[in-house]
Amino acid sequence: MSQIISKKLAIDVMNAALSTGADYAEIYAESSRPSSISIDNGKVDSISTPISEGAGIRLLKGVKSAYGYTSDLSRKNLLALAGKVAKSFEGERLFEVKEIKKERVKAISPIETHLNDVSAEEKIAYLKKAHEAASSVDPRIVRVTASFISKYKTTQTFVAENEIGHQYDNVEERGRVGIVCIAKEGEKIESAFTGPARYAGWEWFTQTLNVEEEAKETAKKALMLLDAKECPSGRFTVVVKNGWGGVLFHEACGHSLEATATAKGLSVFSKSIGKQIASPVVSAYDDGTLPNEWGSNNIDSEGHKTQKNQLIKDGICVGFLVDKLGGRRLGMEPNGCSRREDYSYAPTSRMSNTYIAPGKDDPEDIIKDTKLGIYVANFGGGSVEPTTGEFNFSASEAYIIRDGKICEPVKGCTLIGTGAEVLMNIDRVGNDLAFGEGNCGSLSGSIPVDVGQPTVRIKEITVGGRGGKLE
Amino acid sequence: MNFSKFFQEAEKQGLEQAQISYYLNKETRIKLFEGEIDSFDVMENFTIRASGIYQGKYGSTVADKPKDDIFPELVANIKRNASLSEEKSEVGIFPGSPKYVNKNVFCKDLAEESLSEKIANLKVLNQCIVGFDERIKKAYGPTYTESETTYRFANSFGLNLKRKYNFAYYTAGAIAEENGETKTFSDFVSYTGKGSVDFKAFGEEVAKKAVSKFTPLGLKSGKYPTVINKDIMGDFISYFLSSTIADEVQRHSSFLEGKLNERVVSRKLTIKELPLEKGPCFVNFDDEGVATKNKTIIDKGVLKTYLYNRSTALKDRVESTGNGSSEGGKIKTAVFFTRVKKGKKGFAEMIAPIQEGVYITEIAGLGTGMNAKSGNFSCQAEGYLIKDGRLDKPLNLITLSGNLLSMLKDVKDLDNASCDPLSSVDCPNVYIKKMSIGGE
Repeated sequence: MSQIISKKLAIDVMNAALSTGADYAEIYAESSRPSSISIDNGKVDSISTPISEGAGIRLLKGVKSAYGYTSDLSRKNLLALAGKVAKSFEGERLFEVKEIKKERVKAISPIETHLNDVSAEEKIAYLKKAHEAASSVDPRIVRVTASFISKYKTTQTFVAENEIGHQYDNVEERGRVGIVCIAKEGEKIESAFTGPARYAGWEWFTQTLNVEEEAKETAKKALMLLDAKECPSGRFTVVVKNGWGGVLFHEACGHSLEATATAKGLSVFSKSIGKQIASPVVSAYDDGTLPNEWGSNNIDSEGHKTQKNQLIKDGICVGFLVDKLGGRRLGMEPNGCSRREDYSYAPTSRMSNTYIAPGKDDPEDIIKDTKLGIYVANFGGGSVEPTTGEFNFSASEAYIIRDGKICEPVKGCTLIGTGAEVLMNIDRVGNDLAFGEGNCGSLSGSIPVDVGQPTVRIKEITVGGRGGKLE
Repeated sequence: MNFSKFFQEAEKQGLEQAQISYYLNKETRIKLFEGEIDSFDVMENFTIRASGIYQGKYGSTVADKPKDDIFPELVANIKRNASLSEEKSEVGIFPGSPKYVNKNVFCKDLAEESLSEKIANLKVLNQCIVGFDERIKKAYGPTYTESETTYRFANSFGLNLKRKYNFAYYTAGAIAEENGETKTFSDFVSYTGKGSVDFKAFGEEVAKKAVSKFTPLGLKSGKYPTVINKDIMGDFISYFLSSTIADEVQRHSSFLEGKLNERVVSRKLTIKELPLEKGPCFVNFDDEGVATKNKTIIDKGVLKTYLYNRSTALKDRVESTGNGSSEGGKIKTAVFFTRVKKGKKGFAEMIAPIQEGVYITEIAGLGTGMNAKSGNFSCQAEGYLIKDGRLDKPLNLITLSGNLLSMLKDVKDLDNASCDPLSSVDCPNVYIKKMSIGGE
């Protein structure tokens, strides 16, 4: 891996930054060469190949922080930035960094063919196959856009809390396919999206993922919505399909267990360690170590190894996601979950691959045992206010359940509630754990995350739609 | 940066035409927690966008390195990306408009005021929130953000344009607790220098709105006359305007296809795009170098124009409306500052005829709950019941569902309120005949 900034420069910059009494200094330097290719109705629409380099300097003094960043990595500019960031504190220097030790970073995700080694022509041909597959489903599919994004970046993280600093060099490589199908019939227009993604090489996209099948399924979902009725509204039993349904836990609970919220008492779960916050059938984890998963990484943004962290055990809250700064407020050790989108964000505690652990129920039995309710097969995404725990997520594919069977599709369905309420209302957990990939936006930018769960049933939750009563 | 060196490199590597622009943005953000400075951020964003025509085809690239030595790699990227394009560029690089409107929108008072005064404002704000009511447990994130941007644009036809602007704003939130219930409210206000904001009034309003949420009423699901707060309506108008983008219309992805000069929404609605209005949203040229102009998009409910860049304008044989926007390797289309024409009534007068209705003050999840193609949406909401023409009990954890076009067809009235000058859409509070509200 090529050097972004030298050890000597890192020492000089940290020492300039530490001049006013900070007790922790960190430099995060990044060089990235992402690329994105998009085709629209079978023709190349746009190609983007940004060139990016930059660094962020973060200082901590107790529980106070200061951050600055720049894309000018010259010695003069970095020292000037260190001076500006240092000005936010007043005091005497506590220590001087004399040496930086380079630490070993182990790659956890095997990659055979690097995405940046695959020619643009090959990626275009791949996307055209997806377009042809989706377009061939039905003449009412009037537009298909297909894109491939590869994100390749090298990072250097320097941290110092005393005379001996540490250096962590890392390489991140992720790819994502995006397919949008638009179906039109008369005045009605509907759209559907899929976005399979991995921390993996080209082999996953060509050998494991069947992109043509994925495209066809997306086209069928858009067509299905043309005839779907409006979703009813009220308080219903809801069964959520495995995989991307895990956004339920991500929004309803995950964000509220991040130290960003809990450390300042801004989360509904701030004082919940050791307390029951979910039904006893619920156990949940955040695991950044899963090889090749979209939300995984070798290390976090502070240089810590990523970890498997249990958050809930049999309904009892047993852990938070803790970064360096949040850990200081909480009196807890960081657990490898400090993340950021890029150098323009200071890192903070974030989820990686977060999931509800598999239970004992057969997913078919869960449906069979539900007399009347909604089956949510897929979500568009959601959001949460961690302080109140109030969350929402919108379903992109949903059906009515009648007499234990999945019946007609409905559209325009939103689920809302509070994390505390919905977690206690989960009464059935299936044995079919699966994951889905998405991007999570929060204080430190938009980052890749996996959400996961088996099929789960919520006894009662508020459903919004404009289809009147559920009958 | 020395742009002439870029054009020399472009010529050397065989580009037929070239264009380059950069944004230099400097931002400072200071945040308080429990009355003390919690975080202090100094940020410097630099973005170069370069594009060109190579063998008749368009290519572009973007970088964040503010050094001239990046030019060879930029030009090589443009060539490679143009080579992969399957179509010749019919419009090429734009030589320039005959005239550009220039206005000084740089706020000197803001730039010259000391940071310590701005921090002092934060502390006043914090105190006004926590001191408002014993139920206020915390002020969260009283934050000051100041941003200054320089934008330079040049092309191989000799066009040289520049724009410089700055703005600042304060955000503040309140957390209130009572009988085990927690309620929050947050808001922002733009700041143009000493005396431009009444911090006591702003802080107290934030705190007042948080405590006003206690003891929410359970509301039965149903269809109610609905008044939508101006800021939320601004978000809905933004989604609606994305359907006026010609690229979407030409690709059969807009519900406004084939509707030009037809009445598409309520005749109560007139919507103008005003990029040349003096203020923080002033834009006098787009990302293709085309001079922008003020225009009416919706006139008393009638769709008067789609929004074009040069390429989509050529397809419809019209002139660009000056809405070109460089995004992700392509010239797309952006909507600039927009204003919805206000009504004459005040808020109280507008809601007076409503026997039982809902006033929506906050929503969450519209980003994922809105299908911008169909206009169908469903999202989390909160607000107040309107009873006998007046605001009544608070409503919490309800849903608001509808179709964007149907909702705008059902606009019954608009009041005379305005949004903050930093809002991209200036919109009044809007009364919709009936909307689906999900509750109990």
